[in-house]
Amino acid sequence: MKNITLWEIYKIFFIIGIQLLGGGYVILPLLRKYIVEERQWLSDEELVDYFALSQCTPGIIAGNISMFAGYKVKGTLGALSAILGIISPSFLCILILANLLKGVTDNQFVQKAFWGIRISVIVLILVTVKDMWKKSVNSIFTYILFFTVLIVLLIFSISPAIVILLSALAAILHSKITGGKNA
Amino acid sequence: MLKLYFLLYYEFLKTGIFAIGGGYAALPFLYYMQSTYNWFTTDELTNMIAVSNITPGPIGINMATYTGYTTAGIIGSIVCTSAIESAPFVFSIIIMKIYDKFKACQSISAIFNGLRPASCALLISIGLKLLYQTITYTKQEWSFPVQFDYRAILLFIILILPFSFVKKRPLLVILMGAAGGIILN
Repeated sequence: MKNITLWEIYKIFFIIGIQLLGGGYVILPLLRKYIVEERQWLSDEELVDYFALSQCTPGIIAGNISMFAGYKVKGTLGALSAILGIISPSFLCILILANLLKGVTDNQFVQKAFWGIRISVIVLILVTVKDMWKKSVNSIFTYILFFTVLIVLLIFSISPAIVILLSALAAILHSKITGGKNA
Repeated sequence: MLKLYFLLYYEFLKTGIFAIGGGYAALPFLYYMQSTYNWFTTDELTNMIAVSNITPGPIGINMATYTGYTTAGIIGSIVCTSAIESAPFVFSIIIMKIYDKFKACQSISAIFNGLRPASCALLISIGLKLLYQTITYTKQEWSFPVQFDYRAILLFIILILPFSFVKKRPLLVILMGAAGGIILN
């Protein structure tokens, strides 16, 4: 696929980035439309494979799958163009919004609204947890792990990186002991 | 200032490596930065989460850009955004180079089996801490004795009740929260 320019890759991912509202899972239908159906840069099977892969590699899901797709189209530079394309709209919007908000935070109405929005955010966090819970806590091992981590976190203040590392270790030990069954 | 950039880069590099499972996974890392460095207040943190939810783009990227900007201006936002994607970029290139071997990701899925519940527990602990702080007027974790903010409790119940309905509509939840905030205060 030598005839596709880096600029084209950047542009397509920029357009996808603009439409990406609310979480990584939204990107799949967008990629299917722009990259598989309209341009045939990837096959549908490849896209589904990359999506699965992007969830089990470190990093933001939408970013990961964009880099996989970009790499497939034009190697390392393709991956770079894709990730820059996905990041740019988000970056620009945040800078604009942050500046707009800076000017109005002294306003009484805005302060009252943000007091309420703070509670909305907590609700959004708890709803997300509920979704994650259904997909991830489904065996004796995952129950034990979940509650151990939760209790420890509520009592102590620990770096999340350490929590993730220790949990990975626990999962490896568990799969070694059970021989991969029940994993 | 240079030291601050390095510290931001280091913290967001870590977030990029260890934040697993969707945009909200970055949240416990931001909360940790808040309690460790005081780069921003918890109120600013929740504002950043709200704004990240209603702007286009991956939530994790939005939060990195916003945190960087709040902490250290435009350069800060560039530092944080590039930091959160640098490790995944390197990983992605390597994975694509050894794609066929990597496809058999059995052992990896075993690890993820343990990471997802941990990620879930991390997030709920943040949710509970923020809730506690909001309904008790406190700025620290678990301080006693407490005084309850009944308006906050009321708004929380109003917003949480249509639980499954709010799921795919973050914008609506945020708008309702804003309206509730104006009415109740």
